[in-house]
Order: sequence, then structure tokens, then C-alpha cells
Amino acid sequence: MKKITIIFRHAPHGSAKGREGLDFALLSASFEQEVSLIFVDEGVLNLLPLQTPEVIGAKDFLAAFKALPLYDIECVYACHQSLADYQLDELALAFPLEIKSPAEIGELLTQADEVFVY
Amino acid sequence: MSKLIIQVNQAGYGQGSSYQALQFTKAAIDAGHQVVKVFFYQDGVLSTNHLQSPASDEFALYQAWRELGQTHQVPLVNCVSAALRRGVLSAAESAENQLQHWNLEPPFQMGGLGELVTGIEQADRVICF
Repeated sequence: MKKITIIFRHAPHGSAKGREGLDFALLSASFEQEVSLIFVDEGVLNLLPLQTPEVIGAKDFLAAFKALPLYDIECVYACHQSLADYQLDELALAFPLEIKSPAEIGELLTQADEVFVY
Repeated sequence: MSKLIIQVNQAGYGQGSSYQALQFTKAAIDAGHQVVKVFFYQDGVLSTNHLQSPASDEFALYQAWRELGQTHQVPLVNCVSAALRRGVLSAAESAENQLQHWNLEPPFQMGGLGELVTGIEQADRVICF
């Protein structure tokens, strides 16, 4: 088992990065790896509720983030600074996660075996 | 000596990082490391399209990957679902989808994302481009 950390740093629509990052996360977890997710920069926009990607011809992969506990992905974090940059209210995010400072995120990265950025 | 996996996420043409992945892979092998596999994911699967036909005075990245794979016996594996979405199909997937054409030829091969994850578990390091 490896500690795999996946960073989401791009907005959810306009590219498939987020969707493919999530696919990789769920698959890694189903192969018994210890998976953590971190949302930073534009990636925090994945956390907004009430998004309807179907209206731009995209699959609603965001709904699958709610299934993270089913895959035993318990370590899910968002960057406090990035949320503030986008003026996002952490209480109104689409699914529960822990808010971390940039320094704390740096510390988390030192604990990972592998870090993947999507 | 380390066991490495190289993950290629960006298109071969129009992006620099696939070329850098190739150069890194060569350098790693020359330095005595074992490259367990090269895994193409996201737009990286476009590098494996057999029908790429660059002008004769341009670097042929596809050929370079193919030669590297054959010379050093490095498996060149596509994420099959990422490839199918982008129109990169082997003869087998083409037949399954009742299509008349395909554009994936050996030594490139299709694999599941699970192959990447099991590879990661066994490798010392993954390097993403």
C-alpha cells in the first residue's frame, strides 16, 4: 500500500483534468491504496454545490465526490487561502472536508509516497 | 537503481512535456534505472496514435517512443478509457465498437488504470509529465 495524494488545482469545467483525477483517486482507493485529496487554487471550485455540468455537455462527475467515503477516502482537504481567494464560504461546500493552511498542506505533502497533480 | 514509472498526461504535439518525458525516460535508463512501464493517461494517449504523420523535417515523437519501447523492452501502456474517449483504438476495441478503422499498433498496448496503480505500488517512484 502506498500513500497517494492527489491535488486538484484546476476548475472543474473546461478541461477533463478534474474528472480524470477523480477517476484515478477512486481507482487507487479500490486497489487498496491510502488516498488523500487536496483542493487548491482553482481546484476549490470543484467544491461548489448546485453545479449542472450537463448544460455545457459535460458529465456530472462532481456528484461522485459525494461517494468518497464509500471508497474509504477519508482524508480530504481544501486550502484555506484558496477558498478565501475565491470568497467561498466553507460552510456551503458540497461535501465535508477539512480546511488546511498552505503550511499544513505542505506538511501533508511530505507524508505522501506519491503526489499527483490534476 | 530505482524502479520507475513514467506517466505521460499531455498530448505529444503542441505540448512540450511528452518530449520531456521521452528524454527523461532515456536518461533514466542510461543511468541504470529500471523503467517498469510508461503509462499514457489523459491527453497523453494522443501520443500513441499510429496515424500521426508529422512533416519529414520534424521530430517524430511517436517513432521515438516506439523505438524506446522496443529497444529497452519497456511496456508502453495506454489507459484504455482515456484512449477510447479520444479516438485511439486498437483493432480489438475497433471490432467491439463495430468500427472499420483503428490507430493503435504494437508495441503500444491498452491497459486499465488499475495497471498504473498496481505498478505504482511496486515501483519506487512515479514521475508525471
